[in-house]
Amino acid sequence: MENKKHSMKDDFTMLALLIIPVGVAINFVGAQIAAVLKLPIYMDSIGTIFSAMLCGPFVGAVAGGLTNIVTGITMPVNFAFMPVNIVIGLLTGFLSRKNMFAIWWKSIVSVLLIAFVTIAVSSPIVVLVYGGVTGSTTSIITATIMAAGANIWTAVIGTEGVFTLIDKVVAYVISLLVIKVIPPRTLIKFGCGEHFIQEK
Amino acid sequence: MDFVMECKNVTYSYPLAETPALKGISVQIEKGKFYGVIGENGSGKTSFCALLRGFIPSFYKGNLEGEVLIEGKDLVEYKEVLAKKIGYVFQNPFTQISGVKDTVFEEIAYGLENFGVLESEIEKRVIEVMALTDIQDLAEKNPFDLSGGQMQRVALASVIILEPDILIIDEPTSQLDPEGTESVFKIIKALKEKQKTIILVEHKIDLIAEYADKVIVFQDGKIIANGDKQEILSDISFMNQGVALPQVAVLGNALKSAGLPLKQIPVTEKQAISLISDILKERGSS
Amino acid sequence: MENTYIEKIQIRKKNKLAALYPSTKMLVVVLYSLCTFVIGTIKITKYDLPLMLIPWYLVILIICYTSGALHKSKNALNVILGLSLFILVAQAFLVPGGALIWKFGFLKMYQKGLATGISLAFMIMDVGGIFVWLFQTTENKEIASALEASGMNHKISYIFISSLQMIDVLGKNSKTIMNAQKARGIETEGNLIVRAKAFFPALVPLILGAVIGSEERVLTLEARGFACKGPKTHIFKLQKSGCEPRVKVIAIIVTVFIIGGRIALWIL
Repeated sequence: MENKKHSMKDDFTMLALLIIPVGVAINFVGAQIAAVLKLPIYMDSIGTIFSAMLCGPFVGAVAGGLTNIVTGITMPVNFAFMPVNIVIGLLTGFLSRKNMFAIWWKSIVSVLLIAFVTIAVSSPIVVLVYGGVTGSTTSIITATIMAAGANIWTAVIGTEGVFTLIDKVVAYVISLLVIKVIPPRTLIKFGCGEHFIQEK
Repeated sequence: MDFVMECKNVTYSYPLAETPALKGISVQIEKGKFYGVIGENGSGKTSFCALLRGFIPSFYKGNLEGEVLIEGKDLVEYKEVLAKKIGYVFQNPFTQISGVKDTVFEEIAYGLENFGVLESEIEKRVIEVMALTDIQDLAEKNPFDLSGGQMQRVALASVIILEPDILIIDEPTSQLDPEGTESVFKIIKALKEKQKTIILVEHKIDLIAEYADKVIVFQDGKIIANGDKQEILSDISFMNQGVALPQVAVLGNALKSAGLPLKQIPVTEKQAISLISDILKERGSS
Repeated sequence: MENTYIEKIQIRKKNKLAALYPSTKMLVVVLYSLCTFVIGTIKITKYDLPLMLIPWYLVILIICYTSGALHKSKNALNVILGLSLFILVAQAFLVPGGALIWKFGFLKMYQKGLATGISLAFMIMDVGGIFVWLFQTTENKEIASALEASGMNHKISYIFISSLQMIDVLGKNSKTIMNAQKARGIETEGNLIVRAKAFFPALVPLILGAVIGSEERVLTLEARGFACKGPKTHIFKLQKSGCEPRVKVIAIIVTVFIIGGRIALWIL
């Protein structure tokens, strides 16, 4: 399977198409539950990570991008963060395709990489579009650090960095917990599903 | 030709499975007949349905040997047109809602839209089908706001509207209350009257006894019996193989072995009543 | 009356502006956003502030009002307003540079901070606002229909609409699951760790159920001829309001005028 050429069209099977709305909804509901539980992290990319782990980069990217479009309908400022969610989907999907979630140390490297890239993509948006503060819980911390005299980039990357890392670790753990309980017979139907089937 | 469908020595294994889910299935389905499919859980009934509908192997993948023919042609050749030939309804009412329509009317019309049927005809056909399935009152409701029984009727309507000759219905009532079950069987009865070929998997054996013409018994991935309803459901030897038989058939067998001269073993309540009252009348007159 | 049901599912709007074809609205959104960026480069007063962005916001209010959607848009516009104010204040007091404009105790407002603050806050209000107008006057069904009419694959509009419905469905399910978990004694209030622990049992069954459901929904769609090639019928018909050409012309003229004005200011 490793040598098989992947075409984008192959990724979008009927099942993958139907996982996209699920991914979008999980992103949305995850953020909602996090808000209800008053957690200081966004939790708005679980669906992107989950669908990318199962169905590969392109499905993950569509699920991610569409999330921002759909939530943008009620809250247009979400459009600005669309590239972040798309990149998370692409990166997670490529990692999953390369079987980078197979063993614990590879998973740690992968999650760190996802967090790092997320920060790299989101920080410029936070700084250039919002001037460093987006009105979220984390931005109060950012604002405090800025008020203390720190450079805007340092403040944003520093604060966002910590929370993004926690956010992505939790998103990965939840995705993995779900994938572990999906029956192998179902897993095999997903593009990257076979990587998660444990041999007995 | 009398047979609409035929399986020739089909053996099928799901991917990763060690043992086949279907083993050496050979069966011929007669046009216009109602088949009741029974057997224990995991005996291959649902796989059999998926096989006849072509979801095996196209969706489930895995390893298929043997042939499935529809009207003499290999099932694979039909591709997406199969939706017009064979209707497919299954257990979970909730996942049989398309997820893109705001009203029951549009939900039912969805299949016709996909096949490019003219608008004027769509309106007419949806109204007809809603009458058949008794859901006119729900026409403007959101499909997700319905009860399980109502959703299942909408699911049936959405499939019936494509006017398939064959209907495969896999445990349509297992998640429904008695009221929902009754409303679903009313529809199945109406379909039978329309001379559709029906393949129904159902655990409620009394309903099979009442409606089916033929019964197919599955055990461990194999068909262990296939024949007339009367013959199979009255055969007490199946009880030992874990097949649930109608209560009245068990009663009939018990009465017969107790020496009561029953003309046949009843399989429905109606039969039982008439058979026993016949005997009582004879006794009374003699 | 014939075609009653099909007639009932159509969307008919009395307001000509709200009833514009989605692609025309999209053109308005794009041109308005373009103008916003152009206007943002005009700096006035001795502090070089992009103050023209403020009256430009009136256009949003006027468009929303004449579309009969001001009331509907109020909530979304207010949220954006709150966010913008937050950004404005944060920028004005946090970013040093340029002349000191205002001082109160330890609070200092510098020219650079105020300029960035106004620029960011009102650009977000303007661009965000025009999108609010687009989405508050356009139903999701119309967007999906317009996507398909513009030649996109029907799978894309399926995913779009299905995502919106799935959010509703999973939202409801998550409430059910959360209540069930509470009943089983999983605490959802208390300190951060307690609340964080409640997050997992709330989400895992939700996602799992949705995935298993998707598998069955594939069969549902196949059974309804989703994959059928060839032309499809659409019983929902996207309406035109008749004002499309006029609105397009006005939007283009205004844009040309604004860009022309900007260039004129550079030259003069």
